[in-house]
Amino acid sequence: MKRRIFLASAASALAGCGPIGSALNDNEAVRRILTLAEPLNHALVGTRGLAREYDDRDVDRVFRVNGFATPIDASYQRLVADGFRSYHLIVDGAVERPSALGLAQLQRMPQRTQITRHDCVEGWSAIGKWSGVSLSALLDAVQIRPDARYVVFHCMDNDGSGNLYYESLDIHQARHPQALLALRLNDATLDPDHGAPVRLRVPTQLGYKSAKWIGRIEVVGTFATIGAGMGGYWEDRGYEWYAGI
Amino acid sequence: MNHAERPVIYRYGVVTRLSHWLWVLAFFVLVGSGLQIFNASPNLDASDKSNPARRVLAIGSPQDGIGTTTIFGHTFTTTGFLGWNGNGMGGHDAHAFPAAIIIPGYQDLAAGRRWHLFFGWIAALCWIAWIVATARKGSLRALLLRPSDLPKLWPMQAYYLKFRKTPPSYDGVYNPLQKAAYTTIGFVIAPLVVLTGLALSPGIDAIANPITAIFGGRQFARLWHFAGMLILLAFFAVHIFQVLTQGVVNQMRSMITGWYRTE
Repeated sequence: MKRRIFLASAASALAGCGPIGSALNDNEAVRRILTLAEPLNHALVGTRGLAREYDDRDVDRVFRVNGFATPIDASYQRLVADGFRSYHLIVDGAVERPSALGLAQLQRMPQRTQITRHDCVEGWSAIGKWSGVSLSALLDAVQIRPDARYVVFHCMDNDGSGNLYYESLDIHQARHPQALLALRLNDATLDPDHGAPVRLRVPTQLGYKSAKWIGRIEVVGTFATIGAGMGGYWEDRGYEWYAGI
Repeated sequence: MNHAERPVIYRYGVVTRLSHWLWVLAFFVLVGSGLQIFNASPNLDASDKSNPARRVLAIGSPQDGIGTTTIFGHTFTTTGFLGWNGNGMGGHDAHAFPAAIIIPGYQDLAAGRRWHLFFGWIAALCWIAWIVATARKGSLRALLLRPSDLPKLWPMQAYYLKFRKTPPSYDGVYNPLQKAAYTTIGFVIAPLVVLTGLALSPGIDAIANPITAIFGGRQFARLWHFAGMLILLAFFAVHIFQVLTQGVVNQMRSMITGWYRTE
């Protein structure tokens, strides 16, 4: 008898988790309390140290595509068709020297290569060899102003409902030595699925921070007026802005 | 002695009782939200990066209506529970763990992470508060397994299994098996679950790579984290069984009010 009561109560306790969790999760106050962990994790873990760099033999030759595949946006398709010859990376906002950089200009800047692990928020990981321009070097080239606090990456893909993908880093994260504007993956020019022609790589945070298909980099004082104001496409949908955990 | 003659003692302090019940809440939330997070990538690999060649566990749905669980390459049909199951909205679809036991009870990785990371803090702070309070009372020693307890472990188990008429003699409040359980769960498994959880984070990996490296890398740490949860669930089942079979009213009252009627 006792055993039956025990088994029944254990099963119903477990089966109650889902429905009760749903009801609580739909409560605005509960959701606000749950977000308190993020500033704590940001303050304690933050962006310190260097992500592990691997050897050539560790590289996944077929690198899993994260997020969306090749954008179907007409403007992006036109760039693919002409081999990104008409592509320009716009860098503007709180900078002394707003710029529009073609691919050839980006390729002439000092290139650095790093073999790092991509940690997807879904739980999988893959190792890739990324080459491109240090984000910090680009910020130096355009001379960010003292009021600059965040770097916002506007992407060239929409989610099918017209919402453009975007991401953001604070200046400290953007100045991290491994924050890279990647032009190449695994010794080949970046392909459209993996974010051609320019994508971000931030190996100290989860993969959704590493925005693909970057068309414009805007240096701002606040991102509250962009998108839904949470600092990124996935952040607007409930994910943490600080993605180091 | 009849019931009234058995003395009532103050057994559990307020910190122990509060942290115990907060832990119960945190444990349920962490398991449910952890399974939600697992569902986003329902594989466990004994490898740093994702690696199908070193896959230990995979839960999937090869076709609509069928759920499978593959453990070390052996595939079992688990339709209705694992792989293909109720989605919490009246239908069935492909998810590793069913909506009834994940938090929240529908697919929402972002919310699952919020629940998990918040209650991870609650569980860790409860654990620290309990250790500090217990150590200050000087009763931590009574909980910890000592070398002199080791020879008494089997006699105690034999007594429980009714192979022996009397328990082995032991000092203090807790018998050698209880000490073994508390020491293993409280001082080995719980810290390991916290560490393997931290090891999954790219920010932690950058600050303290040894934490991730010692468990064999990120995916391997995910496997240990899952295994740690299974061990905690097993402890939980035994713990509940013992509470129910050894005076449930007295046990529950003592963990709520602190007062315990001795035998």
